[in-house]
Amino acid sequence: MIARFSLLLLALLLTACPKRAEVETLYFLNWADYIPEELVRKFERETGAKVVLDTFESPEAMLAKLKAGADREFSLVVAPDYYVLQMAREGLVAPLDKGRLAGLANLDPFFQDPPYDPGLQYSVPYFWGTTGLAYREDLVRGPVDSYAVLFDPKAQVGPFLLLDEMRETIGAALRYLGYSLNTTDPEALEKAKELLIAAKARSVGFAGGVEALNRILGGDAAVSLAYSGDVLQARQEDERLRYALPKEGGTLWTDAMVVLKRGPAQDLAYRFIDFLLRPENAAELAAYTRYATPVAQAVPLLPQEMRQDPTVFPPEEVRAKLEYLKDLGPDIALYDRVWTEVKAR
Amino acid sequence: MKRLLSLHALLVYLFLYLPILVIVALSFNEGRRGVRFTGFTLDWYRALFQDPRVLEYFLNTLIVAFTSTLVATVLGTLLALGLVRYRFPGKGFLRYLLYIPVVVPDVVLGVSLLLLFAFARELLGFPRLSLLTVILGHITFQVAFVTLVVRSRLLLLDPGLEEAARDLGARGLQTFLHVTLPLAWPGVAAGALLALTLSLDDFVVTFFTAGPGATTLPLYIYSSVKLGISPKVHALSTLIVGLSAFFLALGYALSRRRI
Amino acid sequence: MNEAATPFQRFFRILVTVGPGGLWLFLFVLLPSLLVLLASFMTRGPYGELTGPLGLHNYLRLLESPYLQAFAQSLWVGVWATLISVLLGYPLAFYIARHPRRDLLLLLLLIPFFTNFLIRIYAWLVLLQKEGVVNAFLQAFGLGPFALYPSFAAVLLATVYTFLPFFVLPVYASVEHTDWQLLEAAYDLGARPFKAFFHAILPQTYPGLFAGSALVFIPAMGTFVVADLLGAGRVVLIGNLIQQQFGISRDWAFGGALSIFLMGFVLLALYLYARAQGERGFRELV
Repeated sequence: MIARFSLLLLALLLTACPKRAEVETLYFLNWADYIPEELVRKFERETGAKVVLDTFESPEAMLAKLKAGADREFSLVVAPDYYVLQMAREGLVAPLDKGRLAGLANLDPFFQDPPYDPGLQYSVPYFWGTTGLAYREDLVRGPVDSYAVLFDPKAQVGPFLLLDEMRETIGAALRYLGYSLNTTDPEALEKAKELLIAAKARSVGFAGGVEALNRILGGDAAVSLAYSGDVLQARQEDERLRYALPKEGGTLWTDAMVVLKRGPAQDLAYRFIDFLLRPENAAELAAYTRYATPVAQAVPLLPQEMRQDPTVFPPEEVRAKLEYLKDLGPDIALYDRVWTEVKAR
Repeated sequence: MKRLLSLHALLVYLFLYLPILVIVALSFNEGRRGVRFTGFTLDWYRALFQDPRVLEYFLNTLIVAFTSTLVATVLGTLLALGLVRYRFPGKGFLRYLLYIPVVVPDVVLGVSLLLLFAFARELLGFPRLSLLTVILGHITFQVAFVTLVVRSRLLLLDPGLEEAARDLGARGLQTFLHVTLPLAWPGVAAGALLALTLSLDDFVVTFFTAGPGATTLPLYIYSSVKLGISPKVHALSTLIVGLSAFFLALGYALSRRRI
Repeated sequence: MNEAATPFQRFFRILVTVGPGGLWLFLFVLLPSLLVLLASFMTRGPYGELTGPLGLHNYLRLLESPYLQAFAQSLWVGVWATLISVLLGYPLAFYIARHPRRDLLLLLLLIPFFTNFLIRIYAWLVLLQKEGVVNAFLQAFGLGPFALYPSFAAVLLATVYTFLPFFVLPVYASVEHTDWQLLEAAYDLGARPFKAFFHAILPQTYPGLFAGSALVFIPAMGTFVVADLLGAGRVVLIGNLIQQQFGISRDWAFGGALSIFLMGFVLLALYLYARAQGERGFRELV
């Protein structure tokens, strides 16, 4: 009896010992499938540190997690561009100590002073890409060139999914109705809401980026809003998957890395960012995910079919029709309300 | 009538096992998608064992389960003893409080713990969401179950036995260790086993109380399913089903042996 | 009762036994519940934080259409899941109880029961996919393929599947304890089989039926995982709403109100049912 108890106690003590051993650990919160394992291992080997990767399915879920207290748990987060200023306002992110980031010079000049974070005060760009329509060409019975395939019952070409990201999906509805992606007009938002509720009833559900593509590949759906690089990655599995930018214009976005103000291992976070700004690492990252890298010096290192792919690097005239999602300040509450109501039905 | 019942039972059992058998079959399927059997392979199991994160999640699940079961069993057994043997003010209230984790849906429990930890963080600066908060959450619902199970066992015991021990000169702790506890042991063991099972299986409470690095197997399965089911998860599921079946069969065989 | 102990010893003993567990319950059950109640009266700030002013606005919002709809759907799932469980599980319990190899049958019932419920839920996803097993089966007969999920039916099916063993076990326990002699007595008194069963056996199984139904109805009402995985956002139950408020919507105040509402409903329903059954029904839950 005593022996059994002491064994249990020993087990308890061993297990209760926190795993925060002598190894410094970087806690990294990122989109799913957004960084190759080998690159992470490379960093671990170089620094002797450990990287714990956690993923999120939608930016809203990520923000909710951080606001619920997880901002003390993570060192580094990859967030969509429109969240950067909002996160700074909400006290999650502190201004960058640029002195620790020599690699910033490797960035394309556009990304050294992007519209979503002037002067790169808080964030460092990770990737940029577009959001458009993904579809399986053998499952659709018509052309996929407009948001109408989602919102117009008469133009439906097959079962479709709605993307589980608030700004993108509400944005698609707004663009279809002719408004800007960043409008705060309550009437516009109300109309978008009605449109989305109707679409939801006809859809086969909501799905995050990766899930949506998996469901299309599995034949459950034919069309969905999707991110450019995800589609290219998935095409490697099934060539029937295609990507198209709708004629109303899609989204041009940047995902950026931010260092959490209250997070652990800040030094490691900076080193990781600098690591990813190195051209060879940025190229490896982009080649894996099929997204465009903001690191100018990495572009020549990319495989040729990527450099020439208009999906990865859309030409100027295409980019002109795309819109950036902007930070809306406190008006974001309007969108939150719409999204909650759409999801609650 | 008998035949109808037999047929009914057979159909129900088929219904219960069909999904599980499909998963087991698919875990050996070569193809990544669809249900056409394209070839037999152990690749998915290989991929599973080569994935260090899965091992970590497995360990997390075990750590949480054993730690929380240990604490909950101790707390619950003592509480049951106190509830059965003594009268004190607030006893009725405590008994109703006990039923709340048992009766109320998981979501509410999870959410209330999330709130508690958030408020505590605001006021005291800790705890951070981590494996510890998961353990705390698990103990909370486990204690209720353990207490109820041990209590029902204690109610069956004859208090005269304890009195007899006392008449013979045994002191409180001695009586407890040598008379009460051995007699209550089947209840304690049953309660502990129930607590362990509940912890290993728990998803919802863990979902709301876990921090990074605190992922357990159920959480992993959930996020895998959300992203798109890979046969690796089928392999993991098959292993879990196999393990449960093994332990159950073991228990069954042992209990038949002992009678 | 411990008459031989001094008042101090008695106090000490109560403290040692009830103290730790009781303190835990206070800290981790009572206090959080009060916090949820408090939050339910608060307001969502512009960045999703909890602030004043305090008021009933969250509860008033509960009464709005989409939320009442979600509640109605949850009730609907609960009721149907329970009914189907009774239909499937009640005869099964009898079959097992009267079977010579009932140990083995119980074991076979317990294996799915002890399998992680997430696995059991996603298994249905695999079965119901467009290119899944059920559709493959139907296509062999020239039917379909149908979009079987996401749908309410899929959610209901998976809910029943998940909670059926919870129903069967308490009913089985009750059936095991039934006195079959009462049935004999009923026959002797001239009752026909159906009536005999109805009056002699069925009432004896009430405690098990009550416990089993509660073990299905309550989780079925409050679940969010099944609807999340098999409803893909198209089936929204109250559990999903609550999870959303504490997740993407970051409206902890409204989430608090929803939680109190759900909790209150469940506790009230149980209390009323237990009153109707007498304290016996309540105890049998254990």
